[in-house]
Amino acid sequence: MRFPFRLAMRHLMARKARNGLTVLAISIAVFLLCFLIAVVQGMEEGIRSASSHRLVTQSAVSLFVDLPTSYQQKIDTIDGVHLTTKFRWFGAYYQERKNFFAQFAVDHQRFLDMYTKDIEIIEAVGGTTGPAARAAVQKAFASDRRAAIIGVGLRDGERFGFQLGDTVPLIPSIYPRADGNAWEFVIVGIYRPLKARIPDTTMYIRADYLNEAFDSGEALGSRGAGVYYVNTEESVPIDQVAKDIDALFANGPQRTQTITEAAFASFFVSAIGNLPLFLGTIGGAVLFSIFFSVVNTMMISGRQRLQESGILQALGFRPFVSTMLLIWEGLIISLLGGGIGILLALATEGSLIRIFAQNIRNYQISVPLMLLALGISALLGIVAGLAAGIPFLRSSPTEALRSSG
Amino acid sequence: MPDKFITLNNVSKSYTRGGETLKVLDQLHLSIARGDFVALMGPSGSGKTTILNLVGGLDSCDSGSVHVADSEVSAMSRSELPAWRSRHVGFVFQSFNLLPVLTALENVMLPLQLTPLSAAERKKQAAFALDIVGLTDRASHRPNQLSGGQEQRVAIARAIATDPAVIIADEPTGDLDRSSADEVLQILSRLNSELGKTILMVTHDLVAAKKAKRVLELDKGLLVEDQQQEA
Repeated sequence: MRFPFRLAMRHLMARKARNGLTVLAISIAVFLLCFLIAVVQGMEEGIRSASSHRLVTQSAVSLFVDLPTSYQQKIDTIDGVHLTTKFRWFGAYYQERKNFFAQFAVDHQRFLDMYTKDIEIIEAVGGTTGPAARAAVQKAFASDRRAAIIGVGLRDGERFGFQLGDTVPLIPSIYPRADGNAWEFVIVGIYRPLKARIPDTTMYIRADYLNEAFDSGEALGSRGAGVYYVNTEESVPIDQVAKDIDALFANGPQRTQTITEAAFASFFVSAIGNLPLFLGTIGGAVLFSIFFSVVNTMMISGRQRLQESGILQALGFRPFVSTMLLIWEGLIISLLGGGIGILLALATEGSLIRIFAQNIRNYQISVPLMLLALGISALLGIVAGLAAGIPFLRSSPTEALRSSG
Repeated sequence: MPDKFITLNNVSKSYTRGGETLKVLDQLHLSIARGDFVALMGPSGSGKTTILNLVGGLDSCDSGSVHVADSEVSAMSRSELPAWRSRHVGFVFQSFNLLPVLTALENVMLPLQLTPLSAAERKKQAAFALDIVGLTDRASHRPNQLSGGQEQRVAIARAIATDPAVIIADEPTGDLDRSSADEVLQILSRLNSELGKTILMVTHDLVAAKKAKRVLELDKGLLVEDQQQEA
């Protein structure tokens, strides 16, 4: 038996406004679904990409309480600790507040050794590229206390366009300078992230420059480290190292809390509640509301076409043909809407990556995500068509013919 | 009766509406010969349309049997009836029942989708059916672009597209003016006389009934008059 698919197409074309609005609703829902899943996946990818041999030691009071710089030497002595570096949030901006990007003050002589698997230095001041670039940056980072390493996003992005050798003035929002001027940093190297959790728009500056400026009164602030990043030896259990660090400072002057890098990364996600669950709930709610809207539209269409089902049955078509036609129409509407939604998600991917660069490194509309969205769209169409078409299966030809179209 | 092409043996049919059982046909016996043109008349509720529905396999009887040609329609399952209908019966309804989203040609082609014909053959056969009812030039028009008479002629073309032996017409002129009704009746007469179609037509229209070879009068589910007419 051939299905009168042309009939389905004609019905779709005959109600352009209603079907067009339904397609629009589905496309928005699918776009939102792709967006929310990509955000959640991006966050989770950031956590997954954390090193399994890295700890973060922070104040047990709060992340916003600095740790003494003297702690570093003590942590270094703990069995199983390979390397440590300070990590301190600098929080300045370029020219205007909206031009914000992350800056961290780190130990210049340790940072690159610690981040060998996390970032790749692609260019050093003086034009050195390739494998030699790392050593060149290491040297340049050590030779000028104002030296800074930036992510490739700060070089290539339209907003900043920083180049090697540029002196970048940053206006402080946490640590003002005594003279009221901006801090100045000289770009000596450019990195590309190798891990999803590391943004390509971060600037790394020297922690000793800050601490010396605070000590001398050149800037307002106190010597310290925000947190310590601790690389551990693979041979020693990481939990044990964490316990040992916290035990070392159990009696002060500042108690510590040492957690894995993955736990630290997930802390930021959970700091604003269970964001994946929250976003998932929103996505689910949007999808359900659109689902019922599509089912309602299809059921209206079904009610209006009960008589048509009777006519088709009188002509010799089986009742399920009318049901199949509605399923077919539902599929076309939902796949069209789903397709547009996916295209919308793809079209905005680049912009959203730029917007999320600071927070969600791995925002991506991946092929599996597109297939998932398409699958959900198809399921939506099938279920909506089926719900609308079931009455056709139950009604006799005479009942169907008597119904008003 | 030379040839019992359609027979209803001891057929009874009741409907239950609002808790009340209404007997529409009461042990009805009826035979119709191949190639006959029968008009069913009678007041509303006398069982005329029910007979059409039973013969066309759209409804089932409570007791008795309905035979069309060699098939016992009343014994067929709900899943067997559609295929049987598509091969043996063409329906013409009072309100035409064309699908508004399809053109005249596409409406006529619709039942041909159930045949093994190719798309080109279906189109050719549908065009031929439209030619029989004189609407070749309206093939690409939608139902809302046609007059009532033209719509009913398209419906007739659709009914004969698969070349069924039986045409069931339920008040085919009920919604038409006299002139259009005459055109439709003329076509039905031609289908009967030239193509040998067996036609079962419900009508309240005496003029329409006069076109039939045989007029059956029903009342309260019983056959009260059976009259052969001169050609």
